[in-house]
Amino acid sequence: MNKTFIVAKNEFLKRVKTRWFVFTTLLGPIVLVAFFAVIGIVSVSAIEGGESTIVLLDETGRIAANLEDPEGDITFVESDADEQTLRQDVLDGTYTGYLVLPAGLIDGQGQARYYSTEGGGVSSFNFDLRNIIRGTVRTLRLQDQNVSAEVFDIINAGVSLETVKLSDEGEEQGSSAAYAIVGGIMGFLIYISMLVYGSVVMQGVIQEKMNRVVEVIVSSVRPFQLLMGKVLGIGAMGLVQMTFWAGLIAAGTMGSGAIISLFVDPANMDLPDTATQTEILDAVGFQVPDLGPEVFVFFVIYFLLGYLLFSTLFAGIGSAVEQQQDAQSLMLPIMMPIIISIVFLQAVIEAPNSGLSVALSLIPFTSPIPMVVRVAMIDVPIWQLGLSLLLLTGTFVGAVWVSSRIYRVGILSYGKKPSLKEIMKWMRYA
Amino acid sequence: MHGARTNNPSLDSSLTPSSDMHTLQVQGVTKQYDKVLAVNDVSFEAQPGRILGLLGPNGAGKTTTIRMITYITIPDEGRILFGNERVGPKSQEIMGYLPEERGLYKKMKVGEQLMYFAELKGMPKKEARKAIAYWLERMGALEWVSKETNELSKGMQQKIQFVATILHDPKLLILDEPFGGLDPINADLLQSVILELKNSGRTIVFASHRMEQVEQLCDDICLVSKGEIVVNGPLNEVKKRYGKNTVLIDFEGSDAFLDPLEASGAVRVNARSTRHAEIRLLNGTPSKHVLKAALEHVSDITRFELVEPPMREIFVTAVTEQQGEQAAKAVQSGGGLAGSKAQGGAA
Repeated sequence: MNKTFIVAKNEFLKRVKTRWFVFTTLLGPIVLVAFFAVIGIVSVSAIEGGESTIVLLDETGRIAANLEDPEGDITFVESDADEQTLRQDVLDGTYTGYLVLPAGLIDGQGQARYYSTEGGGVSSFNFDLRNIIRGTVRTLRLQDQNVSAEVFDIINAGVSLETVKLSDEGEEQGSSAAYAIVGGIMGFLIYISMLVYGSVVMQGVIQEKMNRVVEVIVSSVRPFQLLMGKVLGIGAMGLVQMTFWAGLIAAGTMGSGAIISLFVDPANMDLPDTATQTEILDAVGFQVPDLGPEVFVFFVIYFLLGYLLFSTLFAGIGSAVEQQQDAQSLMLPIMMPIIISIVFLQAVIEAPNSGLSVALSLIPFTSPIPMVVRVAMIDVPIWQLGLSLLLLTGTFVGAVWVSSRIYRVGILSYGKKPSLKEIMKWMRYA
Repeated sequence: MHGARTNNPSLDSSLTPSSDMHTLQVQGVTKQYDKVLAVNDVSFEAQPGRILGLLGPNGAGKTTTIRMITYITIPDEGRILFGNERVGPKSQEIMGYLPEERGLYKKMKVGEQLMYFAELKGMPKKEARKAIAYWLERMGALEWVSKETNELSKGMQQKIQFVATILHDPKLLILDEPFGGLDPINADLLQSVILELKNSGRTIVFASHRMEQVEQLCDDICLVSKGEIVVNGPLNEVKKRYGKNTVLIDFEGSDAFLDPLEASGAVRVNARSTRHAEIRLLNGTPSKHVLKAALEHVSDITRFELVEPPMREIFVTAVTEQQGEQAAKAVQSGGGLAGSKAQGGAA
C-alpha cells in the first residue's frame, strides 16, 4: 500500500473519530442557523415592537376614529390634553408616544408629528406607524372624493417587481439576492475552511515535530509522502464536512421560500393574512434560486484546491517553527491573499462581472472565494473558469515543491526560530 | 521466555538467517550543512550478528550519520549500502530506528500507534497484530494496549517505542541510547532482547555515551569526533592497540600515595574512591613503580592488576588527541605526533 495513503488514512481516521469532528460537523450548521434565527427573531420582534400605546391629538377630528393597527400591537388613545401634559406623560412612561395630526393633513397640508423618547430613525416601528397613518388618510381622501369601492381596490392592489436573470441558456427566473446569499455563504465557508483546516494541518506538523515522532516516521516514509499524506488526510476530513454542509446549503436553498415567508409579515406587503407562501414570495420579489449542480461541483473543486494550496504552505511554515506563536509572522504573507479576497467579497457580490471580480477570481492565491461567489451568481465564461483552475492547480504544484523542500529540513531542525532567509537556504539543500 | 519465542512470528525467520543477513557499509560519506561539515569522509561497516558501537562526543556527527543510514537525509558524497544495495525506501522497511529523542503520538492508543508504525513499514495488518501482541506481552505491557500514550509513564513509553522499533522484524537495528530512562529490571529485559536479536543475525548499530554499556554489548566500535572517524575496529583489537597501560588497584588504608605519584607526572589517576583506584601509566612508567608506592603507604592490597584501558579511557584519549591535533593544525600546518597516532589507530 502506498505510504502516502497510509499516512492520509491515519490522519483522517484519528480526526474523524474525535468528538470534535462530530460536534463541528453537526453543530456547525446548527450554530450558523441559530445565529441567523436569532437575528431574524430580533428583527421580527423589532418590527412587531411589542405593545405600545400612542396618544392622539387629532386636530382634523376625523382620523382618530379610523386609525387602527391591523396587527393590534399599537393602541391609539384620543386625548384633549395639551401638548405640555402629554410630553410629561410620555417622559413618565405612561404612553409610548404622542401623535399630532394637524388640521390640514387630509387636504395635504402640514405633516403628522410623532413624539417619543426613542426619536425617529429608521426603525420598523416608524415604518409601520407611517403606513397606518398614510392608509387611513388616503382612505379618507378617497371617501371625500366619493370614489367607488372598485376603484378603491384597484388603487390598493399591490405592485410587485420581478427580477429575471439573463443567461446564455435563456432566461432564468429567480432573485439575484438569493443567488448572492448562496454565493456569499459558499465564499465564506471556503474562507473559514481554508483557515481552519489549514491551521489544523499546521498544528499537526508542529505537534509531530515537538513530539519528536517525526524522526521515527521519516525513517519509514519520505518527508514528501508524510507531508502529502497529512494534507490529503485532513483534506478528506474537510471534504466530508464540506460535502455535508454543501448538502445543507442545497436543502436550505430549496427550503428558502419557507424560511423567508416565516420572517415576512403578509400585512406589511399589503397582502391578506391568509396569503400563501408563493404569494408572499412573489410580493417580496424573492424566488427560490435555481442552482445547477455545477455550482456545487465548483464549490467543492475550489474548496479542495484552495485548501490544498494553503494547507501545503501552512505545513511548510509549521515545519520551520516549534510553536504556534512563532508561525504568526511567517503566516502573514500567505494570509494576505485570503484576507484580500474576503475584504472584496462584498464588492464581488455587488458586481460579479466587474474587472476587479474577474481579476480576483483569476489570481491563483485569491481565486477560490470570488470565483465560487461568481459561479453561484452568474454564468462565468468557460475560459475564465479554465484559466483560473489552471493557474490555481499550477500554483498548488509549485507550493508543494517549495513546501516539501522546506519541510524535509524543517521537521528535523530544532533550536532558534529560522529567519525567512535561512528557510530559503533550506530549499537549496540536496 | 524461550517458550514464548516459538510464538513470535517475527523471529521465526531467524531459524534460516543466512538469506536475510546483511552487512551495512558506509563508504566515504560526507555531509555538509550550510558552512558546517557535519560528516567528513566517513567509512565503516556493521556486520550481521554483531553490535557496532557508534560513539562520539556531542555534535560529533553521529546523528547525521544515523540519519543518512536511515535514509532520512542523503549524503552529499559517498554511499551507504545495506545488503549490497543502496539504502532507500526499500531498506527503510527492513530497518528499525530508535532515535535518542523519543516520541509517540500523545493522544493515540498504544495499539493503534504500533499498528500505524507497522503499516508504515509495509507490514500486513494481520502479521502486525500478532507481532504487537507478542512484543507487548514480552515487554509486560499487554494491558496498556488500549491506553493513550500520555497516560503512560516515561519508562513505559520507552518500552512501547522500543517495541515500535523491532515490531517489523528489521534486519538492521539502529538504537540511540536505548537504555535511557529505564530502571535496571527493564534495562536487563531490553538487553536480553537486543542480544537475542543479535544472535539471530540482525545487524545492530548502538549509539551511546554510556561506556560501560558499550563495553558490555558491543563487538565493534566506531568512534567519531568532529565529523571524522577517530577509532574504528573490533572492540578487543582496539583495546589491545592501546596496550595494557592501566592499573587497577584495590586497597585498605589511605589513598594519599596517589597524589605524589600523579604530581611526578608518571601516572594519571582516572578514577579513585575510598578503596579503589584506576591509574593510567604515562611515558612507559612500569607498573611496579605504582605497586612500590602503594606498598609503602596502604595497610593492605587486595587486588593489583594491569589491564587494557576501559572504553571510557579510550574515548577520552582519542577525542582529546584528535581535537588537540586539529587545534595544532590550526596553528601550524602538519599534524602532531599524538594526532598521527590516533589516525593510525583509525586506519
